Amino acid sequence: MTEASASSPAVLRGRHDFPEISGRIGSIVLSGRLPRHFWTAFFLCFLLVLLLLYSITYLISVGVGGLGINMPVVWGTMISNFVWWIGIGHAGTLISAVLLLLRQPWRASINRFAEAMTLFAVAMAGLFPILHLGRPWFFYWLLPLPNVHMHWPQWRSPLVWDFAAISTYATVSLLFWYMGLLPDLAVLRDRARSRPAQLFYGILALGWRGSAFHWARYQVVYFLLAALATPLVVSVHSIVSLDFTFAITPGYHSTIFPPYFVAGALLSGFAMVLTIAIPLRWAFSVEDLITVRHMDNAAKLMIAAGMVVAYGYVSEAFFAWYSGEPYERAMMVQRAIGPYAPLFWTMLGLNCGLLQLLWFRRIRRNMPLLFAIAIAVNIGMWIERYIIVVTGPSRDYLPSAWGEQSLTWLDFGILFGSIGTFFALIFLFIRILPAITIFEVEELAEEEGKLR
Amino acid sequence: MSLYGLMAAFADPEALIDAARGMRERGYRRMDAFSPFPLEELDGILEIPKTRLPWAVLVGGITCAALVYALIWYSVEVDYPINVGGRPLHSWPPFVVIAFEAGILGAAFAGFLGVLVANGLPRYYHPVFNAESFTYARGGRFYLLIEATDPKYRKSVTKRQLTRLGAEIVEEIEA
Repeated sequence: MTEASASSPAVLRGRHDFPEISGRIGSIVLSGRLPRHFWTAFFLCFLLVLLLLYSITYLISVGVGGLGINMPVVWGTMISNFVWWIGIGHAGTLISAVLLLLRQPWRASINRFAEAMTLFAVAMAGLFPILHLGRPWFFYWLLPLPNVHMHWPQWRSPLVWDFAAISTYATVSLLFWYMGLLPDLAVLRDRARSRPAQLFYGILALGWRGSAFHWARYQVVYFLLAALATPLVVSVHSIVSLDFTFAITPGYHSTIFPPYFVAGALLSGFAMVLTIAIPLRWAFSVEDLITVRHMDNAAKLMIAAGMVVAYGYVSEAFFAWYSGEPYERAMMVQRAIGPYAPLFWTMLGLNCGLLQLLWFRRIRRNMPLLFAIAIAVNIGMWIERYIIVVTGPSRDYLPSAWGEQSLTWLDFGILFGSIGTFFALIFLFIRILPAITIFEVEELAEEEGKLR
Repeated sequence: MSLYGLMAAFADPEALIDAARGMRERGYRRMDAFSPFPLEELDGILEIPKTRLPWAVLVGGITCAALVYALIWYSVEVDYPINVGGRPLHSWPPFVVIAFEAGILGAAFAGFLGVLVANGLPRYYHPVFNAESFTYARGGRFYLLIEATDPKYRKSVTKRQLTRLGAEIVEEIEA
C-alpha cells in the first residue's frame, strides 16, 4: 500500500483504458472461473441457507414458542434482526443515492454492490416481521385487499406503515438498481460468447444501445430516482422506530428514536459495506478500482454516524432521567446493571469505544484492522437493537411482572441462517452480474484523464 | 432491404464529439450518437430536447399518494367507520405516512416506466445492431449515426466527410 501515507489517495489508482475496465469487470461474470475459495465460502453460506430453511420450517410448525420470547418480553430477536437488516440496507441507498446527488466521484466503483447489499438486506429484513406474526400465513391481512372478512388494515398502526414503507423501499431499491444495471447488461450482452449468456444478458438489457437521446433521459430519471430514494431511506427507518415509540413502554417511548435509528442504520450499514468490500477487492484483485480512498471514506462516514448514535445513547439516558418518570429511570438503571448489563456494556464498548479507533488515519487505511472493526460494529449494532427491543418490556410498569427472555437455538438458527442467506445472495450476485458499475468507472477514468 | 444510415466508429469520446459538431456544421440534422457512458457535450450538438419526464415523475407521485389517501379516507369514513377510543375517523396525521410512501412508489414507477417508454425500450431489434463494428464488448467505442433520411445525406459524400473527421470505420447499415 504505497499511498497509505498520502493525504488523499486517488479514487482510481493507476491508468486504465476502456477495454481493460470492461474486460476485467465483465470477465469476473462471464468467464465463470472464480477462485476456489469463492465456492468454498459459497458452500458454507449455502449450509446456512439450509439452516434458515430448517429453522423457518420449525418455527412455523411449532410456533413462536420455539423462540426464546416469553411474557412479558414478547418482542425478541425477530424484531431486532428486522431492525438490524433494514439498517444494513440503508447504507447501500445512501452510497448510491445521496452520493450521486452530492456528485461524489468515489461512489462509482462501490455503488453497485452497495445497492445489491440493500436489496438482499431488505429481502432478509422482510422475513422477520412476518415470522414474528405467529401465524405468518396471514401476513397479507396487512394489505388493503378485498378479502372475505370485509375489513381494512388499521391505518393508524405503525405496523401497517411499516409494511407500506418496507415494500416501497424494496421496490424502489430494485428499480434503481435495475436501472443502473441496464448499460452494464448491454456490455455483458456484447461480451458474452455463449448463446445462453447472450440470451440472458440480452433479454435483461432490454435492447439498450447507448443512444445519446436515451442517455439524456436516463440520466435525468436516474438522478430523480436517487432524489426519491433519499427521503425514502430516512422515512423507512423513522417508521421502523415508530414501531417502538408508539408504545408507552419505558425505553420505547422516546422522541429521539427516529434520527437515532437512522444514524444507527448508517453505522451498521457502512460496517457491512466494509465487511463485504474489503474481502471483495482482495479476492478479485480490484484494489485499483475500489481503492483505499473508498475504504477511508466509508470509515469516516462510520465514525460520523457513530457519533450521532452515541449522542442518541446519551439523549435516551438523559431524558429517562429528566422525565422524572420512575419507571423510565428504573428501566435505564436496569439496562446498565440488570440482567442485560453485560450485553449493554459490550454494545457501548463496541459502538462507542472501539469505533473511536477510526479517528486515526493509520487504522482506517489498515485493511485487516478496519475489517475487524467493521465486524465488531456489526455485532455491536445487532446487540444494540436487541437491547432496545428487550430491556423495555422486561422492566415494565408492573415490577411483579418483570421478567426476561432467553435465547434458544432457534433464535440463532434464524439469525445466522439469514446472515448466510444474505452472503449466499451476494455471492450469486457477484457470479451473475457485474459487481462494479462498468459505465460509471469508465466515465470516471475518462474524467480523470487517466485514459491510456 | 433499405439503407438506414451510415455508422461511423470513433476511438475516443473527443473524436466523436468533434465529428458530431463537424457534421452538424455541415448541415446534418438526423444524427444519433452511441457511447458506453453519457457524454453531456452531445446534448447541445444533437439538439436533444429537454426531457419532460420529471413532470411524469411528479404526476406519478401525486396521483399515487392521492389515490392511497382516498382509499384510506373511503375505508374509514364510508366503508367501515368504527369509533376507536373517540378518535376522529379521519385522523390525517397517520394517514399521511402511508400516502407519502405510496407517493414515492408511484413517482419511482412513473420515472422507471417513463424512461423505458420514452426511449422505446425494450426494443431488441434496431438497425444499429446490424453494424459489424457496433459492440460494447471492448468497453469503449463511440459511434455516430447519420440517418439516410437526412436531407443532406449523399452516400459517398457523407462517407468521405465522416472519414475526414476521424472515423476509424464507416459502415452502411440496413434497416
